[in-house]
Amino acid sequence: MKIAVCVKHAVDETELKVDSGGNPQLKGAPTKMSTFDKNAVEEALRLKAAHQGEVVVVTVGTPEAKKTMKEALAMGADRGVLVSADPMAMDTRRTSELLAAALKKGGPYDMILCSEGSSDMYTGLVPPMLGELLGLPYVGYAKKIEVSGQSAKVERALEDSVEVVEGLMPLVVSVVSEINEPRYPTLIQIMQAGKKPMEDLTPEGLLPGAGPPVSLVKGMKAQAMARKRVVFEGPPEETAKKLVDSLAAEGVLPR
Amino acid sequence: MSVKIWAFSESPSVANEVASAASAIAAAAGGGFAVVGLDDSGPFLAGDDKLVVRADTPLSASPESAANALAAVAKEANPDVILVGSTRDGKEIASRVAVKLGRPCASEVFGLALGSGMLQGKRNVFAGKLIAEVSMPLPCVVAVKVGTNPALPASGAKATEKVVGVVASKTKLVERREKQKGTVDLRGAKLIVSAGRGIKKKEDLVLVSDLAASLGGAVGCSRPLSADMGWLPEEHHIGLTGVTVHPDLYLAVGISGQLQHVAGVKDSKVIAAINTDKSAPIFEASDYGVVGDLYAVLPAMLKEIRARHH
Repeated sequence: MKIAVCVKHAVDETELKVDSGGNPQLKGAPTKMSTFDKNAVEEALRLKAAHQGEVVVVTVGTPEAKKTMKEALAMGADRGVLVSADPMAMDTRRTSELLAAALKKGGPYDMILCSEGSSDMYTGLVPPMLGELLGLPYVGYAKKIEVSGQSAKVERALEDSVEVVEGLMPLVVSVVSEINEPRYPTLIQIMQAGKKPMEDLTPEGLLPGAGPPVSLVKGMKAQAMARKRVVFEGPPEETAKKLVDSLAAEGVLPR
Repeated sequence: MSVKIWAFSESPSVANEVASAASAIAAAAGGGFAVVGLDDSGPFLAGDDKLVVRADTPLSASPESAANALAAVAKEANPDVILVGSTRDGKEIASRVAVKLGRPCASEVFGLALGSGMLQGKRNVFAGKLIAEVSMPLPCVVAVKVGTNPALPASGAKATEKVVGVVASKTKLVERREKQKGTVDLRGAKLIVSAGRGIKKKEDLVLVSDLAASLGGAVGCSRPLSADMGWLPEEHHIGLTGVTVHPDLYLAVGISGQLQHVAGVKDSKVIAAINTDKSAPIFEASDYGVVGDLYAVLPAMLKEIRARHH
């Protein structure tokens, strides 16, 4: 099986600082592999372990995205493909077009794995756009993938139901975080990751004449969290009473 | 300018939520809106102008066939704005329609308004830490965040039917297991008591469910309890990748308050928390907090609440 995993290098939302004016300090903020992408990498590695083959990590990112690429390689992926462009400066459509072109160039892949959405922008639009752009069957929100021969059986976790869907490979699949527990690379794996091959592609080479990218995002501000932040400490009987009193005064307890 | 807006969802109840967003934009900008549904959804849809799309086989069987059908009718009618309910399937449908029609697309958008020829809206990003302003040129496809608009009631208007010859889905639906209805309806709950890692073993969840029951509320949980421990089914998971809730009271019990969790509860009217760790981030996101051991505080609360009812 030849498997591609699409990953994103993202600002770590837990470390992101906001100034007194509510403006996020994105420049120089700590970065990481987008949280749920680790589940996609893990699933690719599990499929490889069961069916042999190769795992290729593909990303659209700035040069700093090599950090995420290396992390995926340390987890066990075989090689990487970096499309040098800033995904924060383009809409999801252009990101998807770049990924699709890179996947076409390096393919054919039997399976293309993504996570359900990135931990920074969380649009969830790129995986289905890839299916549509590549003309491949697409299954979203997978919590279980079973491959036998050229077909895959996928359990989809939806809001009110679980669906079991079958599709012939090549197939594009997005996974939810419940699908697995991502592994931690060992120190040796981390050291060896730097020696694995990494290919550099340019947007101009992949989409000649595509024109400058457009971002739909006009600005980002801190979410106003106007909470009262009243905290009670002391013996449980007292704090419990104070809490119940406060909630009753707010009118949010049944009478 | 007179805009033509479509409100669509594969789920009729979500379609009627999206319809109220469409109605507000149309009223402000001068224009009209139609509510678009699939298969037999006609009688369940809101609005005076309803359109139902059908094919030889049920279009609701897969988001791909739904998208094929929606794109086919949209190509002819060319609405300026196609609003789609931002469910999991809805995001796939919106993406596919946007690619097929060559339109820009955004998902999980709320607070929509039309201004200077652009459709403006907001999205929660960075696990709800930030709000992004998005601006889309017309024509566009926008997936509207579920639960951010009140649903319009179904109308008696007769739906126009449109039969399409749709290319079948490239995947096959083998089985659909509906989650048990009635056991948990967090999205509509007025009061939720939610459990986190502070619960030491599965049996102790009874402390949380007893309190919820005494208040007539529902039980939710943070991701570790459903995904890692498997103590509660996934539909109880509240957060960015789980259910988004907006009750009058959200009581977080033994939940540290990771961004991903808070992202799912921040529209609650009142948030309260019980946690042993005074520096837990949940207190930052709460109106009222108790620093203490849930094993002592919950029984004391239960006693206090029962005493008030006598």
